[in-house]
Order: sequence, then structure tokens, then C-alpha cells
Amino acid sequence: MSGLVVARVETALSLSFHIMFAVFGVGLPWLLLYAERRWLKTGDPAWQALTRKWARVMAVLFAIGAVSGTVLSFEFGLLWPTFMSTYGGAIGLLFTLEAFAFFTEAIFMGLYLYGWKRLSRRAHWLVLWPIAVSGTLSTLFVVMANAWMNHPVGLGVSHGKITADPWAVFSSSTSWTEVTHMFVAALMCTGGAVAAVYAIGMLRGRRDEYHRKGLNLGMAAILALAPIQLLIGDFAARDVATTQPAKLAAMEGHYYTSGHVPLTVGGFYDSQTHQLVGGVPIPDGLSLLLDFKPGAVVPGLDQTPANQQPMTAVVHLAFDTMVGLGTAILLIAAWGAWRWWRGRRRGIVPRIAHTRRWLWAAAFCGPAAMLAMLAGWEVTEGGRQPWIVYQHMLVADAATKSTGLGWALLATVLIYLGLAVALILILRRLASGAPPELAEAGPEIGPEIGPDVEPTPALEVTR
Amino acid sequence: MTAVNAMLVIIVLSLLAYALLAGADFGGGFWDLVAGWSGKKERDPEGQRGLIAASLGPVWEANHVWLIFVIVSVFSAFPTAFGTIATSLELPLGLALVGIVLRGAAYVYRAYGDGAALPDRWWGRIFAGASVLTPFMFGVSGAALATGSLGPHSMPTEPFRSAFALTAGVLAVAVTAFLAAVYLCHNAAQSPAIAHLVPVFRRKAMVAAVASGAAALAMLPSLYRDAPIVAARFTDRSIPFAAVSAAFGVASLLVLWRERYVVARITAALAVATVLGGWAAAQYPDLLVSGGAVDAYSAVQSAAAPQSVNAMLIAMCLGMAVVLPSFYLLLKIFSRPAVDEH
Repeated sequence: MSGLVVARVETALSLSFHIMFAVFGVGLPWLLLYAERRWLKTGDPAWQALTRKWARVMAVLFAIGAVSGTVLSFEFGLLWPTFMSTYGGAIGLLFTLEAFAFFTEAIFMGLYLYGWKRLSRRAHWLVLWPIAVSGTLSTLFVVMANAWMNHPVGLGVSHGKITADPWAVFSSSTSWTEVTHMFVAALMCTGGAVAAVYAIGMLRGRRDEYHRKGLNLGMAAILALAPIQLLIGDFAARDVATTQPAKLAAMEGHYYTSGHVPLTVGGFYDSQTHQLVGGVPIPDGLSLLLDFKPGAVVPGLDQTPANQQPMTAVVHLAFDTMVGLGTAILLIAAWGAWRWWRGRRRGIVPRIAHTRRWLWAAAFCGPAAMLAMLAGWEVTEGGRQPWIVYQHMLVADAATKSTGLGWALLATVLIYLGLAVALILILRRLASGAPPELAEAGPEIGPEIGPDVEPTPALEVTR
Repeated sequence: MTAVNAMLVIIVLSLLAYALLAGADFGGGFWDLVAGWSGKKERDPEGQRGLIAASLGPVWEANHVWLIFVIVSVFSAFPTAFGTIATSLELPLGLALVGIVLRGAAYVYRAYGDGAALPDRWWGRIFAGASVLTPFMFGVSGAALATGSLGPHSMPTEPFRSAFALTAGVLAVAVTAFLAAVYLCHNAAQSPAIAHLVPVFRRKAMVAAVASGAAALAMLPSLYRDAPIVAARFTDRSIPFAAVSAAFGVASLLVLWRERYVVARITAALAVATVLGGWAAAQYPDLLVSGGAVDAYSAVQSAAAPQSVNAMLIAMCLGMAVVLPSFYLLLKIFSRPAVDEH
């Protein structure tokens, strides 16, 4: 492998590893705010048990997120020295602000995780607010730095040095579409993972109040956000079309500039013929989506010199993966909404019964959200290639010239693999079910649920 | 003061905070590693490890962020120097990173893993070993910046080739161990259940103080041989720092002997702070003393555009206004006794 390839693989590996844990640092505090609040208000032991369990999970995931984030901050310099020495000043403000946000998160995380005996109940709950807010701000600043690489704003040159207006990125539309898309994705990944864990527990017969509450909260988070994510994604795609036309063309596998461009669902991009093979075209779909006019002209990859095009086959596949999984989650949300509405009309409690089909849907949501999020990052990063700073600096020019990187990559793979395996084993141990006193399956309010049988509205609940 | 110098001051202060706070966490790992080596049961090695783990728990992540802060400040304010520093120090910094990752992961895996992946004892070993590796590599890296042998094309092993840098690595480990032992004396004295550990850590603190002093003295001749430019500035500017540091080092020994552990924390911190100050004064104005063109990586030469540096300074003021009170709150809450669990 050449040094450039090693640097890219190393960065991709470290980023994916980091982001899979970082999303929980962003999402879990928000879920905990709800769960611990319910415990404070109701004294319900199930909420207490959930709060305690999630706090432990958050402790482990936050630590792994913190150390893998440190790896990234070093790697900027170790792997991309030319990028940093040229544009460090441009994205420095964002990373400084991110450091403060992370700092605040780490401080209050220490108070939260170790403060059970030292803080009043209410203070303990209040401590979650700075954690949740600063975790969200961390996402905002880091993703904004990435948005700046996709759409560099505020650049100038004076006395032979590159200058950048460090505040310009805050008024760039790319920043806000990317940030909100990722923040909602982080919440959805967290909700999905929580729902999946409890769904699997219930499929194995642990049908207690603890599992039911955990499942419902996770599902509520991911499903309520699914339609919002669709809207934000639409805004984001529209922004990509204006600021990074080559990326949009690669996402859609669209080569020849023309009007009446179809939207092709699925299919593989053939880089020889520049055609999509095996997809389902929706006539005029892309033109309509971007410009609301069937005849709108959409610039294709032919507008970009061949050596400046991204790897369209990969980007298109990643984009379809993200959209496909997002759509599946959206369909589950629609199904859930319909069941809820029907349950409410017929006065059934619980509104959404935990049928096996529903539990399988919940178990699907966890991995689906995570995979969609990773695929989305492949679209963002792969779609920008070969640029590290879009139309300003090539990835190849930014990389280190060091020759010893193969060893670094090997070490990273081995260490991360070991840590990931250990983490999975530890999380499995943590997911050992409710505390014993809550574990006997209390009767679900409502009729007995057989496999895949919707409850009959036999039990009317007076309101 | 110019904006560039203000940034330098902020970076040195952050580095100092990292050394005094996270340094002690790494030193805790060192004592975890050597606990029980004497074979004397009455020193209660498991009790020592328990106290170390409990002292780290709430604060180690916040302490660690000071490092992120240093990195981010250097790459934002001095991007060209950062590029070369990272390239030429890739081996020691890479190994320090390995230590950081393994230390943090092993700590939480031991604390929350319940033996699910590896026995707690194994994670404890990894935690302890990584805690020694990291300060050693940072010591080597810091000293290598002064030697003048680094540049964009220097060999990856170049930072390890001077006795000066290697001694600095040893000094860093000794200093972290010293700080940790001094802090732990006070922590152990807080509870009667673990009061028997006070003399254990007192002894360790005094040994580490002597070891740190010896390592610092051993560095002096190699400083003049391996880092002539910085050595000349050291003679001009840093002798007072060195003298004050030596004085506080001796004072630390005295107050430890008299069992005044809160005062010992202050004298120990000042002894370390003045070492770092002396190095910073001798290093100024170069971030990296380059072997080629003189002051190619001086602060002014490698600084980012003024508007970037100014924006950073504004962000620093706003951020510190949030972080410092929060940090104080964290330290204050964990220094008072716990109330009944709710």
C-alpha cells in the first residue's frame, strides 16, 4: 500500500471507530434526561434501574469516545501535516470551541457518574443538562469543521499566507444542514440501539416493565425523528447540489448533464459506461426534487474533469444504503403511528402492543440507524474526493510523506480490534436484564399477546 | 503583549495544567504498577490500587482534556510548526497515543467490565503499563523539540537518539509518580479505613522526589551537549527557575517529613511548575528548534493569520469563563465527604 492509501485507511478506520461511540455520548444524555426525570417524578423502580444502567453504559462509551477522539486530534498532524499547516488556522477556532465543549462534558460527566452520593437527586439530574448541551455543541463544532472542508468559506490570501475568516463557517448553509443531519442521526442511532437491546431481551422472554419502558423510549426517539431526518436530508441534498455538484452527481450516479433527470432507486454504477445498472428510475424525479421542475437541468459528472471525480460506484451505493435504511425506519415509524392511532381510538393500553413483529422491527432499527449513519459519512467523505478541502487542496497533497505508516496502521487495527471485542463483551454483560427484583415479567396491561396477533379491544380503559 | 505571545502563554499554562492534573493520574498508574513489588503484605497493595482507582474516577477524563487543548491550540495558532512537529515526532507521539488509548480503555473496562472481557487484574496491568509509557513519550517529545535535530525529513527514531531526550522521559515518569504520591497522601488521610496507606504513599513520595531531583540533575550535562541553542538560553534565562524548583523540591521533602500533606501538594506543584517554566523560557521563541534555517519554527514565523489568532483568543476567554468555574466545582464536590446514597 502506498503511504497515501495507508493514511486514508487509517483515518477512515479511526473516524468510524470514534463515531460509533461518539453518537452515544451525544444521544444518551438526552435519553437519560427523560428517564431520570421520570424516576424523580414517579419513583418508579424501572426508571431508576434504567437510569442506573444507562449511566454505566454511558461511562464506558464516553471514555472510549474520548480516547478515540484524542487519536483523531493527533492524526490531523501525524497523517495530514500539509493540510494542517495550510488550513489549521481556518478550522482552529472550531476545534478550540469543540475542546471547550468536550471539556465541559467531561467535567459534568465526572460529576454525574461519581456524584450519586455527593449530589442531591435534583442536582444529579440537573448535571445532565450541561452534559447533553455540550455533547450537542461538540457535534456542532466538529461537524462544522467537516462542512468547511466540503464547502470552504471565508478564504483569502494576504502576504503569501492563507487567511480565513474563522467566523464565516457559522453563516454557511452547508454547516447547518450537515450539523442538524448529524445531530438527529446521533439521536436516532442512540434511540435505535436502546430499542434494539430491549427488543432482543424481550424476544428472549424478558417481558418485564424495565424492558418495556426501555424499548418504548428508544423507539419513540428514533421513530419520532425519522420524518424530521427526511426533511433535513432533503435540505442537505439541495445544499450539496449548489455547493458541491460533483458530489450530488456521484450520489445519484448521474453522469451526462441533461434535463428531465430521473431519480434512480438502487442500481450499481458502471464506471465504464457511466450508467446505472439494475436500478428503478423514477422519471424526472431528480429534476423535480432539486428544482421542482420536471425539465430542470442537473449538472452531471461530465462537468468535472475525470481526475477530479469521486469514486461514483462507492458513493452511489453508500447513498442508496443510507436512504434505503432511512426509508425502512420511516416505514416502521408510519406503521407505529398507525398502530398508536388505532390503539388510541379503540382505547387499548398499551397503545402499541409489543407483538413479536414489533419487537423484530425494533431490533432492526438499531443496526439500521448505525449503518445508515456510517454510509452517510461515506457519502460526505467519499463524495468529496479527491479533495481534502473542496477545490483547494488534494488529499494526495495533504498526506504525510512518512514511510513507516504501515506499522502504525497495523497497530491501530490490532488495538482497536481488541478494544472493540472487549467492549462488546462488556456491553453484553451490562445488558444482562433488569435487576432481579424487577425481572419477573409483570402482566402487560391489556390482553395476553400471542405471536403476531394484534390485541382485541376487549379491555376498555375509562379515561 | 502580542496576540502570538498571549497564545504561547495559554499553551504553556494548559500544558502545566495537564502536567499537574493528568500527570498525577499517570503517576497513579505507575504506583499501581509497582504496588506489591516489595512483597510486604502490610503495605496492602490492593488497598493502594483501590485508592488510586477511586482518586482517578471522577477527574481523569476532565484532566485529559487539557492535552486536547494543547494540541488544538498549537495546530490552530501555529499550524506550520504543528505540521513539522507532528511529522518529526511521529514515533514518540504515536506511542504516547497508544498509551493514552490503552490507559483510558483499560481503566473503564476494569471499573465497569465486571471481568466480562478480561480479568480485572489484566486490565489493571494494561492500565498501569500504559500510564508509564505515555509520560515517558511526552518527556522524550518535549526534550526532542529543544535538540535542534528535528526537521521535516528527520528519521522517525531521531527523537530517541539523544541522552538528553531519554533522560527527560525518565524525569517525566518520576515527576508524575512524585505528584501522584503527594496527592494520594492527602487522599488516604481523609478516611480512617485507609489511613494505613498514608505512610506508604509518604515514603513513595519522598523516594520519587529524590528520583525526580536526580533525573533533573542528570539532564543538565546532556542539555549542554545535545541542545546547545536552548542550553545557552537556559543559562541566560532559566537559572532562577531551576533554583526555585530545587528549593521547592527540598521544601516538599521537608513538609512530607513533617506530614503536612496539603502544603506538600502546593510545594510539589510549584516544583514541577518551575521546571516546566524554565523549559518554556529557554525554548522561547521557538516551538521547534530546527536543524536548518534559524527560527524557521519560531512562534512569529509559524503563527496563523492574525484574524485566526485573534478569534482563538476570543474563544479562549469565553470558553475559560465556562470551564474554569465548572472545573472548580468538580474538584470541590469531590473533595468533600459523600452524603448518604439516595
